[in-house]
Amino acid sequence: MNCNIRAAALACATIFSFAAPALADTELKIYISSQHQPNVWRKALDQYEAKTPGVKVTIETGGNTSEAQAQYLNTVMSAKDSSLDVLILDVIRPAQFAAAGWTSDVEGKDLSTYLPAYAEANTVGGKTVALPAFADAQFLYYRKDLLDKYGIQPPKSWDELKTAAKTITDGEKNPELQGLSFQGKAIEGAVCTFLLPYWSQGKALTNNGRLSFDHDAAVKSLALWKSFADDGVAKKNIAEVATDDTRKEFQAGNVVFAVNWSYAWAQSQGPESAVAGKVGVARLPAMTGGESATCLGGWEWGVSAFSAHQDEAKKLVAYLSSPEVSKFMAINASLLPTYADLYKDGDVTKAAPWFADALQVVETAKPRPVTPRYNEVSETIRTTVNAVLAGVSTPEEGASQIESRLKRILR
Amino acid sequence: MATTTSLKISADVEPRQAAWVRWLDLSDRSLAILLLAPAALLLALIIVYPVCRLAYTSFFSLSLTSGLPAEFAGLENYRLMIDDPVFWETTWNTVLITVITVPGALIVGLGLALMANLPFRTQWPVRLSLLIPWALPLSFAGLIFAWFFHSEYGVVNDVLNRVGLPGVIWFNSPNWAFAAICLTIIWKTSSFMALIILAGLQTIPRSLYEAADVDGAGRLRQFFEITLPLLKPSIVVALIFRTITSLQTFDIPYMMTGGGPGTSTATLAMYIHQNTVSFLDLGYGSALAVVMFALSMCVTAVYLRMIRTKE
Repeated sequence: MNCNIRAAALACATIFSFAAPALADTELKIYISSQHQPNVWRKALDQYEAKTPGVKVTIETGGNTSEAQAQYLNTVMSAKDSSLDVLILDVIRPAQFAAAGWTSDVEGKDLSTYLPAYAEANTVGGKTVALPAFADAQFLYYRKDLLDKYGIQPPKSWDELKTAAKTITDGEKNPELQGLSFQGKAIEGAVCTFLLPYWSQGKALTNNGRLSFDHDAAVKSLALWKSFADDGVAKKNIAEVATDDTRKEFQAGNVVFAVNWSYAWAQSQGPESAVAGKVGVARLPAMTGGESATCLGGWEWGVSAFSAHQDEAKKLVAYLSSPEVSKFMAINASLLPTYADLYKDGDVTKAAPWFADALQVVETAKPRPVTPRYNEVSETIRTTVNAVLAGVSTPEEGASQIESRLKRILR
Repeated sequence: MATTTSLKISADVEPRQAAWVRWLDLSDRSLAILLLAPAALLLALIIVYPVCRLAYTSFFSLSLTSGLPAEFAGLENYRLMIDDPVFWETTWNTVLITVITVPGALIVGLGLALMANLPFRTQWPVRLSLLIPWALPLSFAGLIFAWFFHSEYGVVNDVLNRVGLPGVIWFNSPNWAFAAICLTIIWKTSSFMALIILAGLQTIPRSLYEAADVDGAGRLRQFFEITLPLLKPSIVVALIFRTITSLQTFDIPYMMTGGGPGTSTATLAMYIHQNTVSFLDLGYGSALAVVMFALSMCVTAVYLRMIRTKE
């Protein structure tokens, strides 16, 4: 009897000693896409938990493409679900999420310390709606060893690239070797595929939210990509290729030139790569007579408007977009920093030497149109690029389709 | 309805009503209504209300991305639809898938059912293999076949190459992509057809065939004169279910091509999903859904009439 009471008391004490701190803890749930190396973010979050007693952060991952994540978050947020506190958002989405009332404004944050493009992408109507997680842009990855072998410099124009690719693939006589890999599948990346040569001709897609579509430039852009497939520089099923396919094929040593984002670097230097130490990164080529143009990428941290822990979530977001985390992620995950001075940082350039030249590219990268109806703009462009590459529409028809549909969306 | 008739019968047979019915002084009719009420209420809540709400929303201009409140727009969404080439393309694709895959699955399913009905000693392996495609979730089937038809790593092109034929980049051409999707749907759905037809086959008495044998009718004659006419009710039921689900085709093309290349294999259900879930344009999405609902209702009405005249 006595023993039982003592055992019960002990049990109670044990339960309370576990329960008491658990009750005081704030549990924050953070949504990170699976392709953004949640394991490395986890380390950054561990450091946060260590210095912020009373806050526990758990990661929810999902969706390995930008569209898949958007679709998931659209469902969660339109249901006003409070289970997620902090969300990672593709740079094109903060405007849409803010318009739908799904994110809380982050007050009292000086955005001028970030790269200007990200300060802009996260400001809607004078309010800060999200904070930058990391920067990104598209680059030209190339096989340094093969270019050296044939005495070729990284191409400055798409025409030069075509010639160089042919010289190398003809010389190598390897049927597996492709000249160029880019994104032709109907995914978000195909929007950038279309815009690269379009922008390079000095044209803009929108001007102050109004459509400023240049038909000829669009035809030339679509015709350029189609010609890569027709001339055998890109592989015949390029309409099936998504961003990570480009990365994998380049990493397997089957591609001379590849259009890709910064994340591909870390893995191309990793133990599973067939091309470690043979990779060069340069600015994307331009249209002949035009300027080199690249797509502004990057991801942002937003605080869910339905989170029950607004203050804690905002503090976490401030930490995650701080210079120390930006540096940590640059070194450990090859994610481009959102602060200009980190590109010159010794520790960063030791991990990824080409980051030193990347700043200029990120600074001149162009944003995709900022509009709450971006999903429709994106869908129009990417399905048309895909249709043209598959030979369903001609470049001329494709340009007309994009124009007529964008007119309806951005009227 | 069934409840009222059975109650009437029991009332005739057993004149003494239950004590609480007498106490409440309920007529048969009101008792029936009372008993049906919970089911009716539930159906109203989960079917009638959402359908009405959908029709109601379709008259509003309501897009979550605009940040504006819902605004009555009359028939504006329907007018937009008429001018929308993607709506027509996806509707056409949906009809085409139905016209190809429903008869396709019927023929394959009938063949499978006849085979499964053969007097095997061990029938379970046949029946099990009939069940597996049916039990597999649609999106899994879509993913599996997407790999089968993959131009570089797929088993289909591998087989083609081995027999000396050139491989096809299936998802790079609208026609091949469409063919791949239709083949997948037929594979997936013919087992459902087969299961229903098999059940029908087993209700046909053996004595009919024995009599036909005595009369000297051949196998083929027996099939057309006995099997097929007696299977008609099961076939119609199978066709109704298959046609309606076929008009709602979503998972398989979504997983295999995502509607590509371009929008050449997108279905109406995928377009509704895109407008509501991706574009958050609930007004337009609802209008599209109303059209799909109307389409299914028309088809069901035609089939129901067919059954009624049969009776």
